[in-house]
Amino acid sequence: MLLFKLLQSLVKALHSEGTPGQLAAGIALGSILGLTPLVNLHNAVVFAAIVLLNVSFPGAMLGWAVFVPVGFLLDPLFDRIGRVLLLETPALTPLWTTLANTPVVPLANFNNTVVLGSLVWALVFLYPVFLASRWGVRRYRDTVGAWIVRTRVYQAVKASSLYNMYRLFRP
Amino acid sequence: MTTRLAVFRWKAVAPLLVFTVLGLAAWWLLADRLARRAAESVGTAMLGAKVEIDRLHIDLFGGKIEVRGLTAASPSESLKNLVHADELVADLDLLPLLEKKVIIDRLAANGLTFGTPRATSGIVPSSGPGATRQVAEHVGQWARSIDFPALQLATGKIAIGRVDPASLSTPREAKALAARADSSRAAWTAGLQGLDLGATVDSATALANRLRGARPTDLALLNQARRTIDQVKQARDRVAAFERGVTTGAAGLQAGVTALNEAKQRDYAFARSMLKLPALDAGDVGAALFGPVAMARFQRALYLVQLGRRYFPPGLLPHADPGPKRMRRAGTTVRFPREHALPGFLLRDAELSFRLDPTASQPKTYAGRLTGLTSDPAVYGRPTVFTASAPTLQAGGLFDHVRGTPLDTAGATMQGVSLPALALGALPLRLEPGRGTVTLGFALHGDTLRGRWGVRSDALRWVRDSGAGAGGGGGTPVQQLVERVLSGIGSLDLTAQLRGTIDHPSLAISSNLDRAVADRLRAVVGEEVAGAERKLRAQVDSSVDRETAPVRAQVTAVTGEVTARLAEQRGRLDQAQKTLEQRLRDVTRGIRLP
Repeated sequence: MLLFKLLQSLVKALHSEGTPGQLAAGIALGSILGLTPLVNLHNAVVFAAIVLLNVSFPGAMLGWAVFVPVGFLLDPLFDRIGRVLLLETPALTPLWTTLANTPVVPLANFNNTVVLGSLVWALVFLYPVFLASRWGVRRYRDTVGAWIVRTRVYQAVKASSLYNMYRLFRP
Repeated sequence: MTTRLAVFRWKAVAPLLVFTVLGLAAWWLLADRLARRAAESVGTAMLGAKVEIDRLHIDLFGGKIEVRGLTAASPSESLKNLVHADELVADLDLLPLLEKKVIIDRLAANGLTFGTPRATSGIVPSSGPGATRQVAEHVGQWARSIDFPALQLATGKIAIGRVDPASLSTPREAKALAARADSSRAAWTAGLQGLDLGATVDSATALANRLRGARPTDLALLNQARRTIDQVKQARDRVAAFERGVTTGAAGLQAGVTALNEAKQRDYAFARSMLKLPALDAGDVGAALFGPVAMARFQRALYLVQLGRRYFPPGLLPHADPGPKRMRRAGTTVRFPREHALPGFLLRDAELSFRLDPTASQPKTYAGRLTGLTSDPAVYGRPTVFTASAPTLQAGGLFDHVRGTPLDTAGATMQGVSLPALALGALPLRLEPGRGTVTLGFALHGDTLRGRWGVRSDALRWVRDSGAGAGGGGGTPVQQLVERVLSGIGSLDLTAQLRGTIDHPSLAISSNLDRAVADRLRAVVGEEVAGAERKLRAQVDSSVDRETAPVRAQVTAVTGEVTARLAEQRGRLDQAQKTLEQRLRDVTRGIRLP
C-alpha cells in the first residue's frame, strides 16, 4: 500500500503541470518533512510554506515520502550532529540558551539532538536536493515521461477521485 | 516569451485556515487524552514505576489543569503505591507555555495517601541507560555494600574448622626473622673482623713494654707512645660506632620477635573467624534482625533524593536527558537554564491534604505545604521546602540544590499511627508493632549521609509465619530459644542510625529485642564458645610455637654473642690504653713534654 502511494505520488508529481523548478522546490521542502521528526513546530512552518508558496504540492508529498526512510536511516548521524552542536560546542551554548528562553522557539524542539541534527542536515542539503530534483525532472520529462502518460496505469491514477483533490493544490 | 510565475498561492489560504481550525478542533478533542498519556509516560520514566491517571482535564482558557485518580507505584515495593492522589487542581501560568515551561502558581492536592496496596506490580524495568535506571543501580549497589551479620540460627551449632598451618602468618614471619638473624650474624662477624682490633692492642702492649726502661729524654719513643694512644682511641671510636649499629640491628631483631607475638594474635583472630558462632553482640543481633528492614527505608529515601538530584540538578550547566519516545530515534534532549529566566518547571505553592492511615475506621486528614519545587533550582534561587504539622505529626523537608553542594534533608515523626508489620529474616516470625510512634530522618549533604529510623510501640504482637507451624517448637535449640525470648517481649524500642558517606556508609541498629536476645544467647552458649575458642587457640599454638621457638632462641643467641664479643674487645682496648697511659706518666713523672 505504501509502495503504491509512493508510486502514485511519483507519477502525479512528475506529470503535474508545474515547471521542473516548482516540482523540485516542492520536493526540497518535502524533504524537510521527511528528514526531520514530523511533530515539530518547524514542520508546521514548512507545511504552510508548501501550501502557500507556488511550489508543487505533489512534489512536496513525493519529497516527504522519499525522504522519510532516509530520515530513519540517518537518525544515528543526526543524533551525532545534534550532540556535537548542542553539547560538544561550548561556543554555541549561549545561542541555544537564548533560543531556549525565547517564546515559541522551544516549541520547535531544537534542543533535541535528532531534531536539530536532522534539521541542520535538511537545510544544508535543501539547495542540492532542489538542483538534483530539477535536473531529474527535466531528464524524465525529456525521455520516458511522454510514454508513461499513454500507459493504462497512469490513466487509472489520473481518473481517480484523489486526483481531483490534489488538483486544488496543483501549481 | 515566458510568463512570470506568482510566488504565493493565495487560493490556498482558505484551505490552510480550514486545516488549521480542524487541527485545533482535533487538539481540543484529544488534548486531555494526549496530555494524560504524556504525563503518565514522563512520570513513569522519571520514577521508574508506573504512574497512572484516571482523568486529566486541561482548561486552557481558565489556566487550570485537573487531575483525578493519580497513582504512582512504588519503585521499590512491587505491590505498593508510593502515593495516590484523589484530586489535583493546578493553576497554570499560560504565557510560559510558549517557552515550553510549566509554571504552576498554586496546586491543591486532595486525598493523598501513601503506601496503599496495589493488585499488580508497578515496578517498570528500565531498558535503556536512562537516569532512573542508573540511579536505581547505584542505590542498589550502595545498599548491598552494607553487610549484615547472619544470625546463625539455621544450624544453631558452634562448628570448629580445622586450622591449616599454611594459612597462618606467624610461621612465615618466623622464617623471615630467622633469615634476618642469620644475615645479621654474618654481617656482625665480618664487621668485627674489619675493626682489626688485635693489631692495635698488640701494638699498644708492645710499646708499653718498651716504655718500661725509657727515659724522659727519649722523645721519639714518647711521641710514638702518644700516637699509639691516639690509635687506640680511634679504635675505641670505631668499636663504639659498630656497637651502635649492632644495638640498632639487635633492636630490629627484637622488634621482629615482638611482631611474631602480634602475628600470633592475628592468627588467633583468623582461627576465631573459622568459628561459626551465633552473633552474640547486641549490635550484631540487631543488625541481623532489623538490618534489611532498616536498610530498605534508607535505600528508598536515598533513591528518591538521588532521583531528585538527577532531575533537579544544581548549577546552570545544560542538562541532558533522553528524548521523548517516538518511532524515530529519541535522541537526547538538552535543557539550557538561564539565570533570571523562568525554570523549565516550577511549582510555586502546593497545599497538600493527606491521610496517613487510610485503612482506619475514621482516618485522619492532615495538611501540608510544598513550595518551590523546580527543575532548575539555581535559576529559581530558592530551595524546595515541605512542611506538615498536626498534633500527632511533624514532618518537614528541605531540598536545597541552589548551590554547588546540594543538601537534601527530610524528617517526620508520627504518633499513634498503625505501623506496618516487620519480617525478621532469620526467624519464621513476623513482628506486628500495632499502633506506635515512628520517626524517620534522612539527610544527604554532598555525599555525606545521616539517617535515623526509630519505631516505638507498646502493643507488640508476634505472628508465626503460616509455613512454620503454630506454637513454635520447630528449628534448632538456639532458634527456639530466640523465639521464646522474643515472644515474651511486648514492646519495641528500635533505633537504626545511618552514617558515613555514600561510598562508605555504616549502619548501627539497637533495640530492646536484640539486647534481650544477645543476653540470653550469651548466657546459654557463652561457655561453649569459650571452649571452642580454646581448641582453636591450641591448634594455632601447636603450629606457631614449633616454628617460632627456635627463631626466638636464634635471635637471643646472635645478639648475645655479638654483644659479648664486643664487650671483650672493648675491654682489651681499655686495658691497653690504660697501661700505655700509665707507662707514659711513669716515664715523664707527670711533666708535660713537648
